[in-house]
Amino acid sequence: MAQLAETYACVPSTERGRGILISGDPKSNSILYCNGRSVIIRYLDRPLEVQVYGEHGYPATVARFSPNGEWIASADVSGTVRIWGTRNEFVLKKEFRVLSGRIDDLQWSPDCQRIVASGEGKGTSFVRAFMWDSGTNVGEFDGHSRRVLSCAFKPTRPFRIVTCGEDFLVNFYEGPPFKFKLSHRDHSNFVNCVRFSPDGSKFITVSSDKKGILYDAKTGDIIGELSSEDGHKGSIYAISWSPDSKLVALRGMGLWEMGLMKLIGIYGHVCPLEFRNSAAVLRYLQVMEHIRKDGMVLTVSADKSAKVWEISEDNIGKVKKTLTCPGSGGVDDMLVGCLWQNDHIVTVSLGGTIFLYSAGDLDKAPLPLSGHMKNINSLAVLKNDPKVILSSSYDGLIVKWVQGIGYYGKLDRKVISQIKCLAAVEEEIVSSGFDNKVWRHSLQGDQCGDAECIDIGNQPKDLSLALLSPNIALVSVETGVVILDGSKVVSTINLGFTVTACAIAPNGTEAIVGGQDGKLNVYSITGDTLKEEAVLEKHRGAITVIRYSPDVSMFASADANREAVVWDSASREVKLKNMLYHTARINCLAWSPDSSMVATGSLDTCVIIYEVDKPASNRITIKGAHLGGVYGLAFADERNVVSSGEDACIRVWTVTPQ
Amino acid sequence: MGVADHSKTTYMELQQKKVYRYVIFKIDEKKKEVVVEKTGSPAESYEDFTASLPENDCRYAVYDFDYVTSENCQKSKIFFIAWSPSISRIRAKMLYATSKERFRRELQGVHYEIQATDPTEMDLDVIRERAN
Repeated sequence: MAQLAETYACVPSTERGRGILISGDPKSNSILYCNGRSVIIRYLDRPLEVQVYGEHGYPATVARFSPNGEWIASADVSGTVRIWGTRNEFVLKKEFRVLSGRIDDLQWSPDCQRIVASGEGKGTSFVRAFMWDSGTNVGEFDGHSRRVLSCAFKPTRPFRIVTCGEDFLVNFYEGPPFKFKLSHRDHSNFVNCVRFSPDGSKFITVSSDKKGILYDAKTGDIIGELSSEDGHKGSIYAISWSPDSKLVALRGMGLWEMGLMKLIGIYGHVCPLEFRNSAAVLRYLQVMEHIRKDGMVLTVSADKSAKVWEISEDNIGKVKKTLTCPGSGGVDDMLVGCLWQNDHIVTVSLGGTIFLYSAGDLDKAPLPLSGHMKNINSLAVLKNDPKVILSSSYDGLIVKWVQGIGYYGKLDRKVISQIKCLAAVEEEIVSSGFDNKVWRHSLQGDQCGDAECIDIGNQPKDLSLALLSPNIALVSVETGVVILDGSKVVSTINLGFTVTACAIAPNGTEAIVGGQDGKLNVYSITGDTLKEEAVLEKHRGAITVIRYSPDVSMFASADANREAVVWDSASREVKLKNMLYHTARINCLAWSPDSSMVATGSLDTCVIIYEVDKPASNRITIKGAHLGGVYGLAFADERNVVSSGEDACIRVWTVTPQ
Repeated sequence: MGVADHSKTTYMELQQKKVYRYVIFKIDEKKKEVVVEKTGSPAESYEDFTASLPENDCRYAVYDFDYVTSENCQKSKIFFIAWSPSISRIRAKMLYATSKERFRRELQGVHYEIQATDPTEMDLDVIRERAN
């Protein structure tokens, strides 16, 4: 039996030059974002617990909780909106084909009856508002000629919808049924985001022309703007209002809600505080300072900073605080998304890092949460203390994770190149990418030290390190293998057949090379030459991965024809066969530290764990481990398997043998 | 292609008197008929049965599967398994495929038929699922 222990989630997929929209649910303290075809629900207080909805057939773009927290509406690039329940295994309520192109923004009406979706489509259909359960249209939205980047629903009656887009226009619709009322063209560049204040009195639009303009929510007239003094120096991608526009922060006493005279506290919990009489309360209010009386707004921009603005009575926004994210300052630190929920301020950077600030204490350093954005194609477990799991994705990002804590940090390499194969031992990482080079990075403590680059003349297909003498590495290329010692190429050997996978024994004396024809060639290594010892024929497809067991007595191989075999190293006899339970090519294979279990991960999204002493039919199957296929596998210890896949998530499973 | 009388009687013994857990049949090319290759006693398990099937040659097999239903009744079903692994010779596969119908007609009272081209297709889970 295998149970999911932890999930290290992926981060929202971002695109340079565009903002992304993340949303959340204040009641369950969760945030919602999309990556690839999945919609990810993350709980801010339990970062290792993540729920993934993978039912979209196309990459998902935006998802929102309904105001009552019961349903989530999510949209994708094909113009489809799916409405599903938050509980009960995400049962689908309805699916609508709303627009003929990509949907960029989606909003519920406050009574959870109507949904407005905007995006791009052919001809005139850029925005549509419809009833959530029947899909009937509730208005005509003309007035835009280009992609509509954002839309917003006024949270109080009378209902209004505002849309803004790439044609620099901000359109105001009255209804229902919604009809065009007026349009503003005050921005001089793409208008990226429009949001109403929670009390429904104003709305703000922000644009790539670095400005933010305030409007009256009932009439749609301009009433003010965010001051350009100390303003953003780059395109503003997103805006978020503070949850209640009438909050008062009393020095030393935390946040108070004006109307209810209740102490809200630092983390949004309501703690009733008793006063002997209301006069005592008023005395407190007079004595303490009103730090926040009016609405506060958070904006994020391409100038890598987030600003908190205070909107004063005369509707001019003044910068209260600028939050710069701690980062290297490169393109990846441009901020593209934000959310203000309860007491949390969440900002998302282009590189996918989510920063969690505390709204009550803006000076405190934020908590960074990061992960992968793309397919994670290899995993390695380092045995230092704490046990670190290294994952690498093909865009060259290497991330460290620790069980129980989650994201532990990124490995900054001085040269960012794409990674196809990765092997790691205690002090160094050897990686190869899509160019002809193999990189060796030494690991000093937590970061990467110097890197050595070795040009091997051909594209590396597979990489293996002799674990006991990690200087020796075996790299397989299309026509043969290359033996490396340190940063020197010891020899390049042409083997005459198309090589697909290779493995070198931990002591560096034996190597196994697998070919396109399914044959496993065993060689002994003497110095810089290979002497053929045996050819093993059992596989019926190209060999995809070969691994030695930690105690070197066995090795396991897997092929593209869904079969895996365990062999005895000394006699080269088949030890465990009939491991044919996958339904698509096997991508990765891992041994448990005591050499008793073998796990295989395949394109069919399953991970199967076999015990070497028992017949193959006694297997433990984890179905649907990663949407899109499992590409990386490793054993963290005897009972925990770590798997990673196309959905850019890493999951830790606890296995209990039967 | 004929069916030897011994094959038929062995099958009847499995079905009526339950003296065997399984019977494995093979086509004897010289005599051109289906003969009994091996039988298993009622004490033997499904693992013994799968182990008796050759890895790269075809066979016909009959297995008596005992199980308990959801209403707690002890039931027994007879499975006919046409074992034709994909790694066997094409000639063998063709021979067994064309003779199967003729042989099947002789065996009255088979509940379920399974065609297996590799060990995963005649896994115990598959048998159990078919029976329920």
